[in-house]
Amino acid sequence: MSIDVKMAWRNIWRNPRRTILTICAIAFSSLLLVFMLSFQFGSYETMINTSVKIQSGHLQVQAEDYQDKKTIRLVVPNPAAVGKILEKIPHVQAYTFRGQAFSLVSSKDRTYGAVVTGIDPIREIQVSRLKKLIRQGSFLAESDSDQALVGKLLARNLRLELGDELTLLGQGRDGSIAATVVTVKGIYSSGIDEFDRSAIQIPLKTFQNVYTMDDAVHEVVIIGKSLSDIAEIKHSIELNLSTLDPQKPLKTLDWEELMPGLRQGIEMDLVSGMIFYFLLILVVAFSILNTFLMAIFERTREFGVLMAIGTAPARLTKVLLIESMTMTMIGIFAGILMGSMITLYFQTHGIDFSGASELLSQFGISGRMHPKLSVLSAVSGPLAVFMITFFAALYPALKVRRMRPVEAMRAV
Amino acid sequence: MYLQFAWRNIWRNTRRTTVILVAVIIGIWSMILLGALMRGIAEGMIKNGISTLTGHLQIHHKGYRSDPAIEHSITDPQVVEHALNKVLPSGALWASRVRVNAVASNARHSSGVTMVGIEPSSEANVSFIGAAVYQGRYLTQQDQNGILVGEALLDKFETKIGRKLVLMSQDTKGEIASRAFRILGVFRAEMEATEKQFVFVTRKASQIMLQLDTGISEVSVMLPGKPDNPNAISELKAALPQDQFEVHSWRELLPFQTAYLRILDGFIWIWYLVVFVAMGFGIVNTTLMAVFERIREFGLLKALGMKPWWILREVLTESFLLLVTGMIIGNILAFLSIYILSRIGIDLSAFAAGAEYAGMSRIIYPAIEVKDIIMANGVVMLLGLLVSAYPATKAARFIPVKALAHT
Amino acid sequence: MRMVECIKVNKTYQQGQVNVRALKDVSLSIVTGEFVAIAGPSGSGKTTLLNLIGGLDSVDSGTIVVDGHSFDQMSQSQLADLRLNKVGFVFQAYNLIPVLSAAENVEFVMLLQGLPAKERRQRVKAILDDVGLEGKYDRRPAELSGGQQQRVAVARAIVSNPSIVLADEPTANLDSKTGKGLLQIMKKMNEEKKITFIFSTHDKMVMDYARRLILIRDGRLADDRVKSN
Ligand SMILES: Nc1ncnc2c1ncn2[C@@H]1O[C@H](COP(=O)(O)OP(=O)(O)O)[C@@H](O)[C@H]1O
Ligand SMILES: [Mg+2]
Repeated sequence: MSIDVKMAWRNIWRNPRRTILTICAIAFSSLLLVFMLSFQFGSYETMINTSVKIQSGHLQVQAEDYQDKKTIRLVVPNPAAVGKILEKIPHVQAYTFRGQAFSLVSSKDRTYGAVVTGIDPIREIQVSRLKKLIRQGSFLAESDSDQALVGKLLARNLRLELGDELTLLGQGRDGSIAATVVTVKGIYSSGIDEFDRSAIQIPLKTFQNVYTMDDAVHEVVIIGKSLSDIAEIKHSIELNLSTLDPQKPLKTLDWEELMPGLRQGIEMDLVSGMIFYFLLILVVAFSILNTFLMAIFERTREFGVLMAIGTAPARLTKVLLIESMTMTMIGIFAGILMGSMITLYFQTHGIDFSGASELLSQFGISGRMHPKLSVLSAVSGPLAVFMITFFAALYPALKVRRMRPVEAMRAV
Repeated sequence: MYLQFAWRNIWRNTRRTTVILVAVIIGIWSMILLGALMRGIAEGMIKNGISTLTGHLQIHHKGYRSDPAIEHSITDPQVVEHALNKVLPSGALWASRVRVNAVASNARHSSGVTMVGIEPSSEANVSFIGAAVYQGRYLTQQDQNGILVGEALLDKFETKIGRKLVLMSQDTKGEIASRAFRILGVFRAEMEATEKQFVFVTRKASQIMLQLDTGISEVSVMLPGKPDNPNAISELKAALPQDQFEVHSWRELLPFQTAYLRILDGFIWIWYLVVFVAMGFGIVNTTLMAVFERIREFGLLKALGMKPWWILREVLTESFLLLVTGMIIGNILAFLSIYILSRIGIDLSAFAAGAEYAGMSRIIYPAIEVKDIIMANGVVMLLGLLVSAYPATKAARFIPVKALAHT
Repeated sequence: MRMVECIKVNKTYQQGQVNVRALKDVSLSIVTGEFVAIAGPSGSGKTTLLNLIGGLDSVDSGTIVVDGHSFDQMSQSQLADLRLNKVGFVFQAYNLIPVLSAAENVEFVMLLQGLPAKERRQRVKAILDDVGLEGKYDRRPAELSGGQQQRVAVARAIVSNPSIVLADEPTANLDSKTGKGLLQIMKKMNEEKKITFIFSTHDKMVMDYARRLILIRDGRLADDRVKSN
């Protein structure tokens, strides 16, 4: 061990009480940041997964403009060709086709407007969680033709029970009237009120017949193997799509484009979190700045002697920085360790938020929340603590450079 | 004299006192400012919720809330009108409306909307729509075929003022009624969802279309003064036949906002505590340093016959003065920033979709709540003195001989 | 050979509003191997003079030459180098680095000079034995008496074989017996290693040890005599 490190280490423990308090302050803020960031990331992931797995998928291929207009005429005319492209892309986990048309849906005594979605019963299971959300009845089967799944709130509004008949009335792709009667096979509840109030699912084949779609669909919904693959998948799809019919251009949208509110909501939450954390770390930095300052003012005479016998000021700066950064590192590691342990505990046990379930269900989060520990959430907060603490330590450490031995030794 | 002594002692080490003071100031400032911003977000949400057709309280026919269908209409609005006139304080305003789910369509598009049949003059006093029309004009009593639509809906339907829009809905007989309206005005709202969801026609037009006669769906009331008025609600409940009507406060009508309010208090508390802990370490440390530097002095005072509790009081007084100074400056800074922000607001347009997703207004104004300010200062003062007790008792326990020998 | 040469040295300090002339036209010269005491009452300028000779502070006017190097044209870092290699210091009190042991305090200077570890260890041991601190190598300053601490300081000052050792009232905080012991060690080092010693004092007993006595009063050279014992 070099003499500098030895001196620094022994200096740290000259006043153990002060050192421990300082380390505690750093550990506290690191711990808090690890937990809070894991908590935020965990809820984002839940929000994304819920929305992605119920509605949007990770990516969709649509006709240009469909996202904005949702008009039945804007179709993907040849979904099989798109499917062929997707088969070849390695990171694609699954994909399915959907058709969508706004229609009037009537039960025996009620009528509401709703979005009728045609789904492929086999493929849909691999892409969305719809099957798991069925609360009554069962999911569509491959052989079904005039069966339907209905959201719980819509079912309530329409006073529907399983097996009841439902009339769909809308406009076909060619402008003709589209009408059919289906029976309710399943009722689901996703927790997202907006979705449960306005959606009906029927088999894609039936949808294509009723709405005169031929083979066309509106959305090719894709799930990647993981969130991080999305950009790559999007890129390969775009490359390949250009080889299809240039007259009817298709567009690839990722989940952020499909649900801009979700992405911006997350960004906003992150930014406001940053402001909180920054102010917190600043308070911590000023709280511990005194310890770092004392480390030099108490020892002014000592520094005078050191300089008198020929020590370069840079060396004193180095010793001081080793001192403060060692304290910081101990605090940070203790904070990461404890923060991770606390986070892991709640990651498995969950945190009860049932008091706020009205609020959270809007975002697809149930009454229990699970923080999610990751390298990013464990390291980025403490890293910020480290940097701000470093600046707090830098000021006193650089002050030594302006000391003159004679004056330093005159100080008491 | 006594405070002066403590005050001078604080400033014996200017730099150290300044540093810890800065920590306390930033702490208090961020507590109050961020608390006010969170309150402001909540207030914005609630204000927006109340003005988006909720009001401070609403009266419905029994069963309407759980099943908002046309058969749960109030068929005899006279009874309600009578009760309102009798019970509500003067200055209360109300509007009765027809409100049903409908399908709007034109040649190219169709989508689900909420058709609201309003009395133009009374509605303007109660909800946002009176001041929201930015293109074309607001409805009048005579506009039997006029309709107001939101800007977002107008874009989605690729239409404009003067064009036709057909509404379809179920009438009281269970038949699909449809009626063509002409777009008279376009309104803007805080949320895009509001612009897409609501279309406004005159109450008479909707009653004719739905064969409602004089029936209405709801009465929305704005009370003078504070939004919460449990008295008005209980009196209204008493004045209306229980088996026919239900009365709900905005808290029941806006569960999302109410839930946000509920967790907000807890959230602000946690934030206060966290900031306090962060500066608490600094307060203890600095006070400890100040005390240990004066070991000799305290020993001397004790040798001169000073009682330990006097030293305890002295140290606590010094912390107290430090905290008070930090609090005064922190509060002033916080109020200044809040004042500035309440004039310009924090514009979230860059996150417009995100703000809407989170149910927030596009521009946030901080809102001061006396309770929060008292709590922030109280937490800092009480806990600040509490943690200073540790160094203070240490100082009080110094043994004179040992302390004097200390160099 | 001239070791120290001061020519018309003046030094004035600012003390609030008033100017304190700490040294007034001081000229003196000291040759290699001398054992000199600078004596005078408190506040007469002894510390100031030693600090100037050691290059810790700079003159207002006049010239100082140490071991052939004139301070006039030297930068701060050159001065630091000179202190490291040519000058050893012993101060009145708070001399040692409290977190380092006796041996480490002595070793520190050689570390700064960049000597190899083996040589450092040998010299530390030899010098501490020389000043009579056998077996106390690993004690921290707080675990040593005042006299022992000053002996460590002397050991630290001479371990790097400086040309000159400056000691500012080294015995002021010691009782007379311990003080005597320290002076004997200093004298021994002066005789054995031919190191020039300049120390300040206001103690009559200490002055008796010196072979040459320089008296200053109010910043002026008052007397300068070589004793013949
Ligand atoms: N850094 C300084 N600032 C102001 N005045 C000083 C400083 N150093 C010394 N003095 C003044 O210069 C005079 C000589 O001081 P000093 O050399 O320390 O005397 P001695 O060491 O003989 O007691 C004294 O009056 C002292 O107050
Ligand atoms: Mg002196």
